[in-house]
Amino acid sequence: MNLLPSPSGEARYESPDSVRAVFLAGDAGARLLAGPPASAGAEGLSSHLGRLGAPSALAGADLVEVVAASGLKGRGGAGFPVAQKLNTVRVSAGKPLVVVNCSESEPASAKDRTLVRLRPHLVLDGAAVAARAVGASQAVLYLHRGDLRSARALDAAVAERKQAAIADPDFSVAWAPPRYVAGESSAIVRFLEGGEAKPRFGTRAAICGVNCAPTAIHNVETLAHLALVDRMGPDEFRRCGTPGFSGSVLVTLAGAVQHPGLVAELVAPVPASELLGVAGISSPPQALLVGGYGGAWIDGRSAWDSHIWPDALLQGGFSFGCGLVGVFPNGACGVRETSGILSYLASESAGQCGPCRYGLDHLANSLARLAKGEAGRRELKALERKAASIVGRGACSHPDGAVSLLRHCLEVFEADIRSHSQRRPCRAAHSDSVFPLPSQIEQTWR
Amino acid sequence: MALKEVLLVDPERCRGHGICCLLAPELIDLDDWGYAQVLKSQPLSSDELKSASRAVAGCPARALSLVQEGQKDQRN
Repeated sequence: MNLLPSPSGEARYESPDSVRAVFLAGDAGARLLAGPPASAGAEGLSSHLGRLGAPSALAGADLVEVVAASGLKGRGGAGFPVAQKLNTVRVSAGKPLVVVNCSESEPASAKDRTLVRLRPHLVLDGAAVAARAVGASQAVLYLHRGDLRSARALDAAVAERKQAAIADPDFSVAWAPPRYVAGESSAIVRFLEGGEAKPRFGTRAAICGVNCAPTAIHNVETLAHLALVDRMGPDEFRRCGTPGFSGSVLVTLAGAVQHPGLVAELVAPVPASELLGVAGISSPPQALLVGGYGGAWIDGRSAWDSHIWPDALLQGGFSFGCGLVGVFPNGACGVRETSGILSYLASESAGQCGPCRYGLDHLANSLARLAKGEAGRRELKALERKAASIVGRGACSHPDGAVSLLRHCLEVFEADIRSHSQRRPCRAAHSDSVFPLPSQIEQTWR
Repeated sequence: MALKEVLLVDPERCRGHGICCLLAPELIDLDDWGYAQVLKSQPLSSDELKSASRAVAGCPARALSLVQEGQKDQRN
């Protein structure tokens, strides 16, 4: 692999603490993060193969069948059935391509880069399995420009694998602009075609992706699970997780916790109270931010005893998204925080679709005015109406995510909203935000 | 064949000219920022198809299209 020098030296989403990971719900059950401790850094090939053994010899339809039986769902946010995507790519016309999506764009999430930096071989194994399933000979490692630590881990791992003559697809690297929507699948397709990393309306990458080749774009955690499915088979894989969502899941703890960016692997649904105990939280916080910046607020007290798990959250009407579990402390202003996040999401709009380009900024400003006690009930009503008018009208779901967060804000922080709309400003309206809001270092989309 | 057609806006192409809303006001509204918003997501009647076709033809940004139902959501 030729590792191109990164055009920009600094990574935008780099968290200050390099890599932290804990094993939760029993070390014995940990899968992705089993093996050497996080402090040991990237696991080498001999240790990796010594622990997990060699991959299977399955390929094509037989392999897809095994993946289907495992029930594996994507870990990039949408929870799409992996076998279905692989099969679409496999049967579509053209020379297939695999994309390893390492572009973790949620500012508070760290699980993908933690996995890449600790278990690069598991991720690359997964890419090789995907390539075998669809019949691809090439795989692109799609990285945020500036994410040098992940690149180094992958580069060293690819070199080791070449030396050991492991049957891999040809790996190449693509340095994508570190923007929030640049990791969306149609944006990836567009960037790899030489264009801007902006979403494109109506792209179905699995059928007609990069230069209309069927393209299997997978999140790195998804690929790591795929590597395990390939080795252990569907029954063993399903011993982790729930019937509706098999395998373990990675979560990132963020916000008012001891170590923001701590990554935990859950092997079964776990009460929020137990998970947050790991992060030094012993009583219900004001609220939880789950799924990401386009996710949901959940009231802290009702969240405390509820289970953190994709299908459990979905039943409650919340998206598990990227596995972000953010702690929002008592005393902070949820209205102010949400307006900050909306403002960030607005600045990360690709600016292609009117409702997103103008709407998100409008919602953010309106909410900020509300927090400061400058907006009354009429503006609140207008805000709700405008938010509703944006849903489903973008080329991607970026605006929908922003509106989702806003709606949960209006519900969870209802008492604050009511008080602010009677022109009573929040005492915390000018405080710093709890969750990271990166400023734009790069304006470019190429 | 043509009985199951729905009207679709390509949000990337729409530039908010607003002509569609004049040509097919019963099918298209403009949002607070002047961008087209399709009011009916179900298949169109033959009368509606006529005005929808006018709107499709009249859009300077070529953002509107009539597609068979089911092809509505092309996202993956």
